[in-house]
Amino acid sequence: MNASCAATLTRDADHWVGRFVAMASPCEVLIDHAPASVAQQVLDAVAAEAWRIERKFSRYRADSVVHQINISTGAPITVDEECANLLDFAATLTRLSDGAFDITSGVLRKAWTFDGGDGVPSQEQIDALLGAVGWHKVDWRRPVLKLQAGMQIDLGGIGKEYAVDAAASRVEAIAPGLSCLINFGGDVAVRNTRQDGQSWRVGIESCDRAGTPMRIVQLARGALATSGDSRRFVFRGGHRYSHILDARTGWPVRKAPHSITVAADTCTQAGTLTTLAMLQGENAEPLLQASGMQYWLQ
Amino acid sequence: MKKIPLCLVLLGLAGCAQVQPWERDVLARPEMSLDNAPLDAAIDDHIYFSKEASSGGRGFGGGGCGCN
Amino acid sequence: MKDNDSFNATLAAATCALLGSAVAAPVAAQDAGSDWSFDSALLYYGESDGRVTDFSAAVSALRDLGDERKFSATVTADTLTGASASGAIALDRPQTFTSPSGRAVYTTPAGAVPLDDTFHDARFALNASWTQPLARLYTVSAGVGFSTEYDYTHIGANLSLARDFNKRNTTVNAGVAWSQDDVKPVGGLPIPLSQMLDVDNNSNKLGGSESKDVLDLLLGFTQVLNRTTVLRVNYSYSDSSGYLNDPYKLLSVVDPLTGDTLARVPIGQGPNGVYLFESRPDARTKQSLYAEVKHSFGDPVMYFSYRYMTDDWGIDSHTGEVRLRWPLGEGYIEPQLRYYKQSAADFYRASLVSGSALPRYASADFRLGDFDATTVGIKYGHGTPNGNEWSIRAEYYQQTGSVPSEQIIGNQANRALYPDLSAVIVQFGYRFRP
Repeated sequence: MNASCAATLTRDADHWVGRFVAMASPCEVLIDHAPASVAQQVLDAVAAEAWRIERKFSRYRADSVVHQINISTGAPITVDEECANLLDFAATLTRLSDGAFDITSGVLRKAWTFDGGDGVPSQEQIDALLGAVGWHKVDWRRPVLKLQAGMQIDLGGIGKEYAVDAAASRVEAIAPGLSCLINFGGDVAVRNTRQDGQSWRVGIESCDRAGTPMRIVQLARGALATSGDSRRFVFRGGHRYSHILDARTGWPVRKAPHSITVAADTCTQAGTLTTLAMLQGENAEPLLQASGMQYWLQ
Repeated sequence: MKKIPLCLVLLGLAGCAQVQPWERDVLARPEMSLDNAPLDAAIDDHIYFSKEASSGGRGFGGGGCGCN
Repeated sequence: MKDNDSFNATLAAATCALLGSAVAAPVAAQDAGSDWSFDSALLYYGESDGRVTDFSAAVSALRDLGDERKFSATVTADTLTGASASGAIALDRPQTFTSPSGRAVYTTPAGAVPLDDTFHDARFALNASWTQPLARLYTVSAGVGFSTEYDYTHIGANLSLARDFNKRNTTVNAGVAWSQDDVKPVGGLPIPLSQMLDVDNNSNKLGGSESKDVLDLLLGFTQVLNRTTVLRVNYSYSDSSGYLNDPYKLLSVVDPLTGDTLARVPIGQGPNGVYLFESRPDARTKQSLYAEVKHSFGDPVMYFSYRYMTDDWGIDSHTGEVRLRWPLGEGYIEPQLRYYKQSAADFYRASLVSGSALPRYASADFRLGDFDATTVGIKYGHGTPNGNEWSIRAEYYQQTGSVPSEQIIGNQANRALYPDLSAVIVQFGYRFRP
């Protein structure tokens, strides 16, 4: 096990704080009112679930299902139930967004590096890559998936939120009723309320003033997810290009809000809504209002 | 004004570690804000302004009443 | 995009299918800082020995419009009754003074420190301010203030600019404030160092009003020292000019040997002693250096501050304050302690000696004298489940002053020249968010 597979548990005031790194994000678990042994068990379970999902679905790992799919060069791959559920979910999102969200759009990262610099690709470069993008080109008949040669899938857009919910379910299974806050890089879920009735306080980072929460949300129960460009963007010609690409055009969504945070029952729901709203660009707010869920825009 | 040297001067003056955004949990608590009881502060400032010869410090001089 | 209901239904169904039947309970999320929030306070201030009593009520509203834009407004109403020491010294015989209106007299019993004629006054004040970001890392703030009493009005405005550095660990701010106050005392403005005259003799009083202008400059520096400590240091410069006298304050003119106030026979009704109205310079420059620290020891939070002030009237002061906030059940308890010490103004005089040359400026106002003051207090606050908080604060303030020995003449040594001031302060507070 290398250093990044270590999880540390410390005590802070009236709760436990467990920290580890997974899915390239700082992850933490805040556990309310529990003895040390239970807190350790919960932390271990959450970290194990996060690392399991990372191992299984990361496109970088040679032993992951996604990697197997991406090197299949057109051969059919049979996937297990969990992977099939994620693919079905992704397909639904593609349909709901009229193709703007698409897990096959990962190849476009060859043209775009969102590092704050001013590298903007040419239309020819994008057109060349768009040939390999499009869920409608994929042969998905559960449980068999067949990509065309040159296509890739990337579950990064839904993986983290799904991992938060999966981890929350594992915690509920081993310590039912325990109030803990699971935070994987800004995607947060709380299953049960805290014992003394207080809420967990979550800060939503402000885009322009890195380091100060623009808002503090008191989350008694439920989930929060945030989509935004405070850290990853391209800045050129006075325009800020967010890192959310519209799979139909290969270009970043235009006039999207800097950041969207949504509160929903599950992290997957919250994260999905932020992503779909961002893809709507300047029409993000009507979509959020119609969803009936609480949201915060920047 | 050059940004970087000024930052170093300020850091040097304060002689402290830089607190990262994700370490601001304690500082985000309302009781840790320097201005968390503005009404109490205004009331105190007014009482002391009318009974003593000094005023202000935390903010502007206050006063603005016929009591001193 | 499909119509809203089918969109929402499809999304909900898809999430259910993905996560399985272990569905979470409905979300309960609430903005911790949004829209309107209110803070209100009811205050009782009562000095001992029948001096000043004040009841006041204040309501403050804050609206957070997001993106660091904030609007706040505070309304305060005060009613004051009572009397303060007028500056005249105590005597072995009763003393009679003409009241400020010039139409009646009031008497101080033998041995008692003379207090102003009892007054009733009501004051109303309004302050509003607006804060918003000016550019990335810059915040600008502007405010206006207004207050009115029956003999005094004030208007003021302020502007400040703040800039953040080091991932918001450091903030530097600069501000300027300007105010203009108008004094229109009951009975007119007494000519400084003129003698208090009989009832209905207003020859030493000027009609109309006088004004006072104040300019304040503030330079501040806030620094996060570590995860649990934050420091703020402010330098202030203040320049007042115009009418700085207190039109109701007096000095007794005393015999150089006995130290007793010179007697006077009024024509009809009037003062039975020689009293002069005070005179202060028409300009005052103050500078102060202030530092405050908040530190968290896990749950308890400690606050400490110190201020040093010096001005061109010869007054130097030191103020130290410490508070410790302890969580207690669903609330907190916060004992507090304040110590204040000031030196007298150059022109502070306990009394004026007959026969000696009259100084250009002289005041016997105890607030310009040499004194120590201590405040001990405790505050208890209790949070309600929906995020509101009520609180109660009780303080005891005591001022003990002294007159320099070279100013104590003759029989004055047998009397209390500088009355102790003690006051009880009780405040109820309620903070809520509708």
